[in-house]
Amino acid sequence: MKHLVLGILAVMSGAFCACSSRQEVNKSAIRIRWERDPENLDPLVLPNENALEAANLLYSSLLSVDPSKQQFTPCLAEALPTVEQTDSLTLLTYRIRPEAVWDNGQPVLAQDVAFTLKVMNCPGLPTESNQAQWGFIRDIRLDSTDSRRFTLVCSGRSPEYAWSSGDYIILPEYPLDPKGQLRPFSLTALRADTAADQHHAAIGAFVRRYKQAQLDHHPERLPGCGPYTLEAWETNRFISFKRKPKWWADQLRSELLPLQAHPAKLNYQIIPDAATAVLALRRGDLEVYPGMPAKEFQRLRQDKDNGATLQFYTADSYKMITACFNIRRPALQDKMTRQALSHLFNVPALIQATQQGLAFPSVGLIRPNSGPGYNDSLPLPTYDPNTALALLQKAGWQRQTDGGWLRRAATGAPERLRLTISYRTTDPAFETIALQLRSAAAQLGIPVQPQPLESSLFREKLRAGTVDMYLFTITGNPFVYNFAPILHTKSIGTGNHTGFGTAASDQLIEAIAAEKQEARQVQLLRRFQRLLHDEKPLTVLFFLRSRVAASAQLTNLQVTGLRPGYMATAIQAKPAAQ
Amino acid sequence: MKQLSRYVSLVWLLVLLLLSVCAEILPLPYAPDTPDLDAIAAAPFSGAHWLGTDSAGRDVLAGLIFGARTALLISLPATIVSALLGTFLGSIAGYWGNQRLRLSAVVMVTLGLLGLAVAVLNASLGVYLSIGAVAFGGLVVVRRISGKLSTTHPVPLDAAVLLLIALLTAIPRLVLVLALAAVQPPSAPMLLITLALIYWPSTAQLARAEMQRIRQLPYMEAARALGLRDWQLILRHALPAVWKVVGAALPLSVATLIGLETTLSFLGVGLPPQTASWGRTLASARQEPTAWWLIVMPGTVLVCTMLALRQLALTSIKKEKRGE
Repeated sequence: MKHLVLGILAVMSGAFCACSSRQEVNKSAIRIRWERDPENLDPLVLPNENALEAANLLYSSLLSVDPSKQQFTPCLAEALPTVEQTDSLTLLTYRIRPEAVWDNGQPVLAQDVAFTLKVMNCPGLPTESNQAQWGFIRDIRLDSTDSRRFTLVCSGRSPEYAWSSGDYIILPEYPLDPKGQLRPFSLTALRADTAADQHHAAIGAFVRRYKQAQLDHHPERLPGCGPYTLEAWETNRFISFKRKPKWWADQLRSELLPLQAHPAKLNYQIIPDAATAVLALRRGDLEVYPGMPAKEFQRLRQDKDNGATLQFYTADSYKMITACFNIRRPALQDKMTRQALSHLFNVPALIQATQQGLAFPSVGLIRPNSGPGYNDSLPLPTYDPNTALALLQKAGWQRQTDGGWLRRAATGAPERLRLTISYRTTDPAFETIALQLRSAAAQLGIPVQPQPLESSLFREKLRAGTVDMYLFTITGNPFVYNFAPILHTKSIGTGNHTGFGTAASDQLIEAIAAEKQEARQVQLLRRFQRLLHDEKPLTVLFFLRSRVAASAQLTNLQVTGLRPGYMATAIQAKPAAQ
Repeated sequence: MKQLSRYVSLVWLLVLLLLSVCAEILPLPYAPDTPDLDAIAAAPFSGAHWLGTDSAGRDVLAGLIFGARTALLISLPATIVSALLGTFLGSIAGYWGNQRLRLSAVVMVTLGLLGLAVAVLNASLGVYLSIGAVAFGGLVVVRRISGKLSTTHPVPLDAAVLLLIALLTAIPRLVLVLALAAVQPPSAPMLLITLALIYWPSTAQLARAEMQRIRQLPYMEAARALGLRDWQLILRHALPAVWKVVGAALPLSVATLIGLETTLSFLGVGLPPQTASWGRTLASARQEPTAWWLIVMPGTVLVCTMLALRQLALTSIKKEKRGE
């Protein structure tokens, strides 16, 4: 009996130790948490950030962002393009590195770039998002003397072209079009004839081949020249990538991060629930947890027990949370009402409450530490109900005996100040912001109704313009200042959900995007921020800091404010302590 | 011991009722829907918030008290409406069965057309009344023209009610409520109507079975022999007995509907975010996995309320069995 008890105790303690001890970092695989499945790895579709990250492991681009330099650097291209401008065109000439080869040993040539652009514009394939992004590339001219050199013909002028013309993954021609059936068709012709797949047998056959390949779940059928290959994918469970034993960039021994790939395996674990993901990280079942909720991040960081096993990184991101006004609503048409409502957000308290201080306020859409382009002469948003009260009265609103606000519209009809604030249910911070506004507005007698909406319903309502105020996340970048998608009158109904836009603001947006001289662009940016500050189609509540927690056995995560917030291919294991 | 648990249950429910009624005038330091941004997920018994705060900084104590009010304001009316609807439908199904109610073909066709018109037009009350008036006029004219049409046919009331019950109970209750709640924006009246429309089959089954039993009893036979009309028999002699059984199960219905309301609030559908509810407080624990008080406090209140209502139901059923 005594032996039996001892035996049971031994088994139980063994099991307990096995459950509680942290696992050693697997030397061969880095396990990273993803909140959702990439869903579709078809290079023409890539529906979410995770799919984009996966595609960048499988394929290479002409240019890639080096997070350590915060700028675009050559990847497949030998150098940044040479730019030549004519009256209405911009010509960008690239040359591909001689070392760049596909998995079958064939070199990556200008012909492959031409093929990629043609696929991106091929009628019958899902080309909409690519055309919207790279529609400015009108044609490609191959150099007859050098099979690696080519010139992209772009319509109009923009400083952005120098890098955006190389920021798409390059596809191999040999697996999908071994006979070169697309070669006789020029890019211009494919763009012009949207029904070419029905007229031309060769294009129709190519489209069928492309669709039959089912690249959405079988990217291995279109092997790229990226550093990894897909090893396994179980939808909504995990997706893992294996380092190619011999990748063309290895021989370069470049210091540029896009030309390095250290982990032998990358295993992305799909864990939708944040609490489960935190538990997995603490148990050692995960090595990297990007975008950890602020509260958990701070709690783990302050817990001394985690000091030896986990490391915590933050970086100022370009992601901001904004409160936007639908100025097509009668109550929100005048800027003073919008200014008044902006004074009801208690930004410092919201930063502390929702982000645990891991965020920072801004006067507008430019990140405060972006240099002289940030207009620091403007005041930061302040919580000031008295100013809000004065502004409401200035806007013509009159306090009623029941505590509410009323004014006469242009038609003479009475108009009540009563608003809804809509937001996605996905982020709990939105609810806190909406409740804080509701509480502050209620003190002034303004009824504000929080309206949490499921993502697709929220999008639908934004497009239809049936919201009053809404909370929205906007992500910027350090490379270009293009506000047209969110604030130009041409974007009303697509990306400009505020309905804002004047001739002056449109002109300013276009001038900022086209300006090449930095000093002049800085001036324009500062003017634009002042304009937004006065007109208040939206108010930037705060910029977020990206947060990454990782195993202490890892190093070189290259945590930056750019999405996805870290660089998986740069991660290395720390050398063992002597 | 049984007496003690009964008294404890009653006291708990009375306290809950009292707090719910007086929630607005209680000297609570915080409102249930106002976030305290300086005390996000604050632990209980340590600061100004006695029972702590949730992940949005809302006071848990205020949330529990106003949550009790929400639970009662939704579950009690929903229980009463579903009990009335269920008793009505169950009683007529149990009393008349499939053969005993006979209507003329004209009446049946008119009623059918009326129902169809209402369903198709989804019209206002004025339109309903107009359709009803036209239908009634048409009926009189037709009856005068031809006596043949006035021959009667049995109405399969029991089968119709059973079919409706089967349709509603075939779909899991939660799925049905979620589907209905998804169509409409969250609001308390909408949730009340949804719960009432979903829950009546349970009462209807009970009432139907009881009515079938009562209908066979000698005193009902005697009343019929004396020439009392059906509606007199149902209203005066059968329903009081049916109501005793339905009434005994009412606390259980309240408990079930409180549970359903809490589940819906937990899932984030049914009630708007500014409306306090136990389910909402429980749901905020998902954002703060270490905040035990967000599970323990509302969980305890919910369990105690459920147990008290169950105890009350058991006592009522035992009384009913003893014939008190």
